[in-house]
Amino acid sequence: MKKFLAIVLALTMVIALAACGVSTESAAPAASSGDSQAAAPAASGGIRLFNGKIEIANALNHAAEVYEAATGKHVEVESIGGGVDLQSQLKQYYQAGNMPDIFTCEGTPDFSNWTGMMVDMADQPWAADTEAEFIDSTGATVGFPYTTEAIGLAYNKSILDKAGIDPKSITGPVSMRAAFEKLDSMKDELGLTAVIGWYTTAKELYWSTGNHMFCNYLDAGLARNDSTYFDLMMNEGKLDLDRFTNFAQMVALFNEFAPADTASGNYDNQVSGFAGGKFAFVTQGSWIGASLTDQYKDLYAAAGNFECGMIPYAFEEGIDTILTNPPSHWAVFKDGNVEDALAFLQWLAGPDGQQIMVQEAGLNSPFASCTVVANDPFAPTITEFTAAGKTSSWHFLDQPANMAEDFTGAIFQDFAAGSINTEEFIQDMVDTIPNAINQ
Amino acid sequence: MNENTSGKKILSLVLLILGAVLLIAALWMDFSKTYIVIHVGSAKVALRGMFLVVGALMVLAGMYFIPTVMHHRAIINFIFLFPLIFTFAVTVIIPMFVGIFYSFTDWNGVTYSKMVGIANYTAMFKDPAFVWSLLLTVLFVVVNMILVNLVAFLLALLCTTKLKGVGFFRAAYFLPNLIGGIVLGYIWQFIFSNVLTTIMNSTSMLINTKTAFIAIIIVYVWQYAGYIMLIYINGLATVPKDVLEAAQIDGADAMKTLFQIKIPMIAATFTICTFLTLTSAFKQFDVNLALTNGVGTVRGFMGQRLSNGTQMIALNIYNTAFARDQYGYAQAKAILFFIILACVSLAQVRISNKREVEM
Repeated sequence: MKKFLAIVLALTMVIALAACGVSTESAAPAASSGDSQAAAPAASGGIRLFNGKIEIANALNHAAEVYEAATGKHVEVESIGGGVDLQSQLKQYYQAGNMPDIFTCEGTPDFSNWTGMMVDMADQPWAADTEAEFIDSTGATVGFPYTTEAIGLAYNKSILDKAGIDPKSITGPVSMRAAFEKLDSMKDELGLTAVIGWYTTAKELYWSTGNHMFCNYLDAGLARNDSTYFDLMMNEGKLDLDRFTNFAQMVALFNEFAPADTASGNYDNQVSGFAGGKFAFVTQGSWIGASLTDQYKDLYAAAGNFECGMIPYAFEEGIDTILTNPPSHWAVFKDGNVEDALAFLQWLAGPDGQQIMVQEAGLNSPFASCTVVANDPFAPTITEFTAAGKTSSWHFLDQPANMAEDFTGAIFQDFAAGSINTEEFIQDMVDTIPNAINQ
Repeated sequence: MNENTSGKKILSLVLLILGAVLLIAALWMDFSKTYIVIHVGSAKVALRGMFLVVGALMVLAGMYFIPTVMHHRAIINFIFLFPLIFTFAVTVIIPMFVGIFYSFTDWNGVTYSKMVGIANYTAMFKDPAFVWSLLLTVLFVVVNMILVNLVAFLLALLCTTKLKGVGFFRAAYFLPNLIGGIVLGYIWQFIFSNVLTTIMNSTSMLINTKTAFIAIIIVYVWQYAGYIMLIYINGLATVPKDVLEAAQIDGADAMKTLFQIKIPMIAATFTICTFLTLTSAFKQFDVNLALTNGVGTVRGFMGQRLSNGTQMIALNIYNTAFARDQYGYAQAKAILFFIILACVSLAQVRISNKREVEM
């Protein structure tokens, strides 16, 4: 009897195990495209796009629907953003064998993570249509540019008009201070809470201060192929003191006229404040245009759907360029569904795709053949600077990946919070940057 | 009988050999990425997985039928323990050894190019940011161990009195522990940055390193004290009524009862709670991440200006791996962290065992 019971128990266990084993295994081919893609055909014939730009999630989903309706190929868009570390997320996917077919990379350090795992797209038709693709050190075209963005001092034109300030008259530190002071004195009648929406909370906005603002020191006013100050920093760990002092004085000016919660507010406070007409200026780039017309459209409408524009961060007399570059590129994973991924990218670069990318997502097309005009609030100003040849490229994507997060972001916060003065800010940056470069 | 044994012998041998062949075939398919799918009706079955499962079962069955009286019980024990041991090995033991291996390489999360020996281990002690995190964590643990236990014990005393609505208070104090640390962190970030600043008309506590550290402690105590309180309440409930009554008859006042009777009687509870707060404070991560993400300025520490003033060791390890791409280095830090935790826990268990015997 005992033996019988033992056998029954053993059998139950075996059957249970076998049932689990078989059912999971039979489900496996569809799910585990990661570990055995070599011979496994993609079960659904679809692709997965890892989008690092949450602002354009809705438009991308729509593009995917239109594409699926046209070709029958499914595109799954996975949008992540707002300070999430995309590369660490990607690495987790890679470790789990769950790598997306198309994924986002921002600059050289990111791309070098995946050397040899990305498809060279030089032979794609779109590659001949743009100058903004990412080419790695071996000369392979591994990054698809889906947009170009601009960094400049964004302004609310209707407020400046009411205050009688011509944005074009702000050409250097003196005129900038004069404009700020004038706006500050008219704060109540213009309905402003602060002249400039300048937020420095290192936890949330280290990328805005340590990357975007700082790269104006590196690149503002320079020719597109000029990387003098970037090279000085990367090769010798040094800052050009004259230029940096001028830059620091501009930051001090921003601190002076920033909102009270400048060191503890977040991105939402910043962009919604600008959309609602609470700030005359904001220190975010052209990407907030999409947020104004989508996420904050009620606030924006209530503030009168005002015209937006950008001026250079003119911390020295003569700085007359804004910074434009693709903020990130899309790479195609070599072991993924390459054929469908390339087809989708080509479609996206074509007229139908650009229609959605430019008009709905509010992106600035990096493709020469694109004739669609964006309705993005910042599109006219970018076109104007580009046409006049008054743009510089930016280099912050090539600095050490954690420089802003672990080193410089906190210094901007301390400066804005008032715990250090301008001299200490300069000294802290001079002392800290070599640590970031040599880590 | 003899025939039966030889039959069993053959059966067992056949099963063992067949099982082994199937297992090897499955492994070969995995390494060579050969992928064969057969159709059974409408269902697709992957041969590799089938081979693996059936092979493993055959080996187990073969072991069961081995004609031995002496080792039969041991084999049965093994077969029944196998699923657990296997799972434990796959999820804990093997990753740990792989992790130790990676800590000697320059792994970047995707590939590694060379072995670096103990360079990762020596580098971390020359890294001011890491040393700061380590010291800060120790400080955090000590402060929290005291504060959480103190607050929790006081709450427990309060919740064991005959107040009205004690049940409600117990639940209310325990509730924060049910909210995830990340959510808690963001809620409190809002409180510190938006609510308190408006009420007190001041700047946020989170801007300054020292006050931000205090903020983390406040949130942690708030989150954890309710949980520890429940354990103390249980402990206090086990104090025998007759002893308390005897004390009352002898004229002991409330303070005397507390210090001379209740506290000594629940000494074991104290050790459990100290141990729990100690290890969990050491592993603090989520509140730290959501509340400050480690930001904070420290001047002149080991000759450097640090930006990670409120970064605990777990967050430091996480950032080393995920923000800096230094997975091998982070792994080495994690091993050190593991060793520290293991030592502390062992010491704690030792001490608590001793005291329980004395009681």
